[in-house]
Amino acid sequence: MISIEEQQKLFIEISRRLDKEITVYAIGGTAMMFLGIKDSTLDIDLVFETERDKEVFKDAIKPLGYSNIDSAIVYGGKTNAPEMMKRGDERFDLFVINVIDFIFSDTMQQRAEQIYQFGANLILKVADSHDIILMKCATDRLKDRDDAKKIIESRKIDWQTIVNEAKKQINLGKTDTAWELGYFLEDLKNDLKVEVPQVVLDELFGILKNQIEKRKKNI
Amino acid sequence: MKTKELLKKLEGVHTITSISDLLNVSKQKAAYYVCRLRKAGYVKTKRLRDNRRVYNISFENRLGGSSYYDILNKNSPVKIATPKVYRIYGKEPSLEETLVYAIKTRSLRTILASLALFKKIENWKELYHLAKKNHIERQVGALYDLARKFMRTRRMTKRFRNNALPKKEYPLVYIVDNLKSKEFSDIGETWRVYLPFNSADLEDYK
Repeated sequence: MISIEEQQKLFIEISRRLDKEITVYAIGGTAMMFLGIKDSTLDIDLVFETERDKEVFKDAIKPLGYSNIDSAIVYGGKTNAPEMMKRGDERFDLFVINVIDFIFSDTMQQRAEQIYQFGANLILKVADSHDIILMKCATDRLKDRDDAKKIIESRKIDWQTIVNEAKKQINLGKTDTAWELGYFLEDLKNDLKVEVPQVVLDELFGILKNQIEKRKKNI
Repeated sequence: MKTKELLKKLEGVHTITSISDLLNVSKQKAAYYVCRLRKAGYVKTKRLRDNRRVYNISFENRLGGSSYYDILNKNSPVKIATPKVYRIYGKEPSLEETLVYAIKTRSLRTILASLALFKKIENWKELYHLAKKNHIERQVGALYDLARKFMRTRRMTKRFRNNALPKKEYPLVYIVDNLKSKEFSDIGETWRVYLPFNSADLEDYK
């Protein structure tokens, strides 16, 4: 586990080792820590804009004792799994734009308005709370549902933003978004007793129905 | 009450009286709550002229660091509320960086507040380098000439001026989107920019 203060020190240390300015997006527990929803996290989930930025970042953390581990341990056979680097019980999950079945879209990038700069070279943008929920749905690891519950209970959620982003993901070619998100939110509602408006689920499953009908016609 | 719950209820600017009213507790208990939040790093205290204490309670306080807005508020008579979170750790941002950031926000009030920085800016080489990187040399030059009309500033180096001055055929650019003043057209023409300020906007600098 890494606390807020330890994480800040770590990012400053990394920034000193970066040889060019890079921008990363915090999407998971790290983002929740910056939003004040969580006090510590196991894994630092970061999304990079380019593969080159990820390589520069990796080169900076390797001398700090981080080494590659197999992402299948956590993500199984999921597509677009991150590159994972671990030191002790701290772990970096490094994505490049694609986060499993989701794309960290341009609208998500624009919504990340909270910015933290570490040293001269590391600029960390914190994903909006709506997008963290979507990313939690994408990664869907142990505790991701608990985290999503925490976000929904502690922030004001504009459900239309989530539905609109789901539609955007479908337009970007991530056709399973409505299915994935619908079931993720339904599970939150049924199993964890989170207040998810029924109209949101209806809209998502409505999208799914249309997709099925379209496919049927094509067959 | 849990600290997180307290923070959620009290986020903002308070006095002991406002906290005791809000939570419906005695002033003693309110002071105890402030103490607990301070220990967790969420409280910044300021004193008013009459020696009363005002508490700024926010999660951001715990994260520490500095921000461009803190620097602007420290150096400028025009004060601004932080419109968005941009915190910096592991280095103290320079005045030159702060000026460039302020111009890049394209916000009228932030740019107005940043004019005061010309009183203290000394590293014109760094400023030119940063301005060029962000393609705002002309804006910096025009705002400098404007600031000179209202306050004593450090002198811009000839090298900065010569390098930053545009050719006459360059199109005029906005400093704040779609906002142009009828005043200071001479400065605007020289630097090929639309200045957004009237002299009335600069009252605080007189």
